[in-house]
Amino acid sequence: MTTQPKNDYFSLVLASTVHDMKNSLAMLGQSLNHILDEHNLNDPSSKIQKDVGIVQYESNRVNNGLMQLLALYKLENEQLPFSPSYHNLFEFIEEQTIILAQLLEAKNINCEICVDESLDAFFDANLLAIVIENILGNAIRYSKSKIIISSKIEDHLVIQINDDGMGYPEKMIDLEGDYMLGINQSTGSTGLGLFFAKQIASMHQNKSKTGYIVLKNGGQLNGGLFEIHIP
Amino acid sequence: MVKYNKIKILLIEDFADYASAVISMISAMGCNHIDHVISAEAAIQKCREVTYDLILSDYNLGDGKDGQQVFEELLHFKIISDDTCFIMITAEINASMVMAALEFKPDSYLAKPFNRQLLKSRVDKSLMKKEKFKPVLRAISRKKWQEATKLYQELLGNTSLYRQELKRLQLIIFKNTKTIKECQKHLEDELDVRVTPWALAELGKIYHSLKYFDKAEGIFKKMLMEFPYTIDGYDWLAKIQIILNKPIEAQQTIEKAIKRSPKLIKRQKSLGELAEKNGDNLVMMQAYRQAVKHGKHSAFSHADEYVKLTKSLGVRLKSIRSEDRDKLINEAKTVFSQLQSKFSKSSGVQLRGAVAHAEFSAIIDDQPNVLKQVKIASDEFDKLDENIGASECIEIATSLQQLGFSELSESVLEDGVEQYFDQKEFIKQVKKITKNKNLIANAQKVNKINNRAVKLFREKKYNHALTEFSLALDIAPNNINIALNRAQATLKKYQQSKNDPDLLYKTEIILSDIDRLSSNDIRYKRYLELLRLSQLMLQNTNN
Repeated sequence: MTTQPKNDYFSLVLASTVHDMKNSLAMLGQSLNHILDEHNLNDPSSKIQKDVGIVQYESNRVNNGLMQLLALYKLENEQLPFSPSYHNLFEFIEEQTIILAQLLEAKNINCEICVDESLDAFFDANLLAIVIENILGNAIRYSKSKIIISSKIEDHLVIQINDDGMGYPEKMIDLEGDYMLGINQSTGSTGLGLFFAKQIASMHQNKSKTGYIVLKNGGQLNGGLFEIHIP
Repeated sequence: MVKYNKIKILLIEDFADYASAVISMISAMGCNHIDHVISAEAAIQKCREVTYDLILSDYNLGDGKDGQQVFEELLHFKIISDDTCFIMITAEINASMVMAALEFKPDSYLAKPFNRQLLKSRVDKSLMKKEKFKPVLRAISRKKWQEATKLYQELLGNTSLYRQELKRLQLIIFKNTKTIKECQKHLEDELDVRVTPWALAELGKIYHSLKYFDKAEGIFKKMLMEFPYTIDGYDWLAKIQIILNKPIEAQQTIEKAIKRSPKLIKRQKSLGELAEKNGDNLVMMQAYRQAVKHGKHSAFSHADEYVKLTKSLGVRLKSIRSEDRDKLINEAKTVFSQLQSKFSKSSGVQLRGAVAHAEFSAIIDDQPNVLKQVKIASDEFDKLDENIGASECIEIATSLQQLGFSELSESVLEDGVEQYFDQKEFIKQVKKITKNKNLIANAQKVNKINNRAVKLFREKKYNHALTEFSLALDIAPNNINIALNRAQATLKKYQQSKNDPDLLYKTEIILSDIDRLSSNDIRYKRYLELLRLSQLMLQNTNN
């Protein structure tokens, strides 16, 4: 206990840098909203709507990437707190759409939630929120006009995010879990989001069953379909 | 629906630009009473002046207390009520959650950055939940179990929203209306459905009350293996391991908890105590260092961690002879001066600190300072206006004895014996130190008399009891328990016949003679109650 391992210093620096960056992102978001309000630019027909959408999307991506990096770092060092509890499913999912509300509006995407309001499930809401936000963000990027988020509980919890875009490339579906191999600098896909989703899913266990994710194409909207299974 | 124009909100945020952003979000929600402070101290002050419906606090508040510590202080000292909603704004939710002690959990956490829609949604839900649970929580705090059961059942329609909270309440009600075995079965059934950290912990606590300590240890170990971030589990496991006489494992358990959640002073102190018992001075030193560090801005800090830190520094000094010596000596000097300034009004602490300082000075061969500190100690002892604890008394007397000041040591012991003659463990330790045979003999004598008196009191033989209490007080005139007993017996005697108001005056005199009873003492309530009763009865005789 007398000497600090190098890891600890980085840990401290990481924590305060993340805190700093999140403050910056918060200020960015707030100022953008202020500018939009001041100049009446919230109108979806406005010329700069595309740019507004880009700013929203990219700053969300930065925030989400930051949270995933931090969580993965902690996971590697066995420092990631896992605090599962019971949560109402509809409220949980609705919250993720609220977080991305401005983005959905900017891109003019209709996001439908098909979840029975009387359902609740046992999971770590903070970690799962990062996953859903990330996948939803991607779905928004690739969808044309509609996204459906549905959830049901059969013998375990399943959350599905379906978009009406072009779907996941075959290569990605074939990876079947080895998402780190999907890192492709040119398309901007790092596979980080799916790798992270897989990790979080597998943290959830119940009676020797472990959580997992599935990528498909199809679903009601005939686009990309992401599923996360939580036992 | 929340009527935002009728509620008062306090924002605790040190980053000014961010604060204005949040304030404009809250205004947009319709609230027109929003106060903003930038520090913990300002927040506490403001809460004394205004009753808020909702407090939004950043977890990070710069140097000084963090949001969690503010919340704990506000609740603990009842500056806010349980009805006040508290939402913590943080960069990393799970990390902040882990820092919260079990009894002090905020109503909700909000991760930044958040937009106005999320803020509104979260505030709406938190306030609504607070409203919904107010009646049943009130019934529980008043211990009205039938009412609580009824109110709880009315809430069952909301299970999918509040399952965890409802389970928690159900267990509280069961614990107070059913047998403990029924509670055990209830939790075991819960665990058959799903293994959750909450159910495991509660079952562990039940095993503990049933004294199934091995089973309890097993359950907590299982819980911590599957859910290593359920921090209070470590505290319980360590507690049980101490009972099972496994102090080394207990120490390791608390070390694991601290690794994940280092800020709780109570935990650092437990570690310090354990490490001291296990002879692990390095860990003891580090633990008390952390306790002092985190206690700097906390209202929960005590002199204890400062004194213990100096002791461990002294022990450390005995075994090293390098440049590190100066560093440790300076650290100790700083701690001693903090003891002096932070607890300047407490003569008991100053006495203890001076003796610890004398002991430390002896270790570093500073004989003049030894004498100086013992003189200070002696002066503080002469003007002592509060009781020093039993273990502190032993600590002080032992040090003085070892330094060669046996007269002062014996005086301190005498003082302690007068207060704690009925504590077997304490008397055992006094026996080891004292050279005054009469001291122990007197302790045993007054203990016997007091026990006789209490027995007579219970048999309602108040006259005899009073005679015995007087005898006891002759030997131990400053003992508070005897005085309180004597006062109570006098009141009872009055109540028997109600024709001698003189007894009431006597009671008042006995109570006013009581010296050194601080308002923090657990006996203070009893003292106030007896005073109130005697005054009430006096009033009635005058009518």
